[in-house]
Amino acid sequence: MEITQFQLDALREIGNIGSGHAATALSTLLQRRIEMSVPRVWAVPFEQVSVIVGQLDTPQATIYVKVEGEAPGKAVFFFPIESAEIVVQALFGMDEPLDLYTNEMAQSALKEVGNILVSSFLISLSQFSGIPLQPSVPALAVDMIGASLDAIFLEEGLLDDTVLFIDTQLSGIPKIKGQFIFLPDDGSLKKLLGAIGV
Amino acid sequence: MNGVISVGMADFKTARSPDILLTAGLGSCIGICIHDPHLKVGGMAHIMLPSASGSLGGNPAKYADTALVLLLKEITSMGAVSSRLRAKMAGGAQMFAFPGKPPVLKIGERNAEAVEQELKKNGIPLLIADIGGSFGRTIHFDVGTGELRIRTINHGEKVI
Repeated sequence: MEITQFQLDALREIGNIGSGHAATALSTLLQRRIEMSVPRVWAVPFEQVSVIVGQLDTPQATIYVKVEGEAPGKAVFFFPIESAEIVVQALFGMDEPLDLYTNEMAQSALKEVGNILVSSFLISLSQFSGIPLQPSVPALAVDMIGASLDAIFLEEGLLDDTVLFIDTQLSGIPKIKGQFIFLPDDGSLKKLLGAIGV
Repeated sequence: MNGVISVGMADFKTARSPDILLTAGLGSCIGICIHDPHLKVGGMAHIMLPSASGSLGGNPAKYADTALVLLLKEITSMGAVSSRLRAKMAGGAQMFAFPGKPPVLKIGERNAEAVEQELKKNGIPLLIADIGGSFGRTIHFDVGTGELRIRTINHGEKVI
């Protein structure tokens, strides 16, 4: 579908509210100050995805949650490895970082962080739009960001040529960086925009 | 000095030796690499889905069947001879597993099967493939030698 400037502004507002809640949740969880960027809203063809997420072979911890309900979609949160290590270390109060590639405790902690972030995003989005949305069980991949994202795009066969991102960067002091992406499924965007009256 | 030509998602590029074709961060997608070893030209396609038929259409470089047609057309227009063409491929991983749920559709495997079929249909031998697993791959293809270098984060590096 064609997206007007007015609708893009509305989506940015959705992103703003949702990720504001997510940042607060992460902040509470880690007992650290977390800052949030003004969300960017992008509709990009696949070839240009790296414009948003950076080098496609950079290793990142990627948490993927399917969004179910009346406006389904996909929510993704990804951290650079160093940030993910800091988050896990802070959660467990450990002196040394755990190996995210192999340590199951670290992996389930990251999934839980993703779950909390996505849930708080969805709760505020549901309240704002009046459309009920639920997160599914989170899944985690610690690998090249491009590889994780293409698998997410293709799950259940995504067919459109463009990907719509609502993208917010979370950054903590010190040294925590993370990026949040919400990808509404094809019909969902129309429904969400309709519900908020644009 | 070798040039490195980058191929994005749902994209394809061709090159002449000594240039190298690169695609970074392949997950369920497949990198199809084809070259003419005599003329030392070749191409790479980064496909996302098996087939354009029954889909919403759009960018033909996204699908195994239509991307291969485009790629072959461009390689032969550079002077490559169809009967000399050789193929290799990599990718087709399953990046995420949801606990308690079987993967709804293993898109990586379906992609690999589709590429194999399309190559056969076009009479191009598939020399070797590095497919599957649950990890991402970055691939470099030397269109002169036909060497395909596969780099991963935690599963080593190899040349096939």
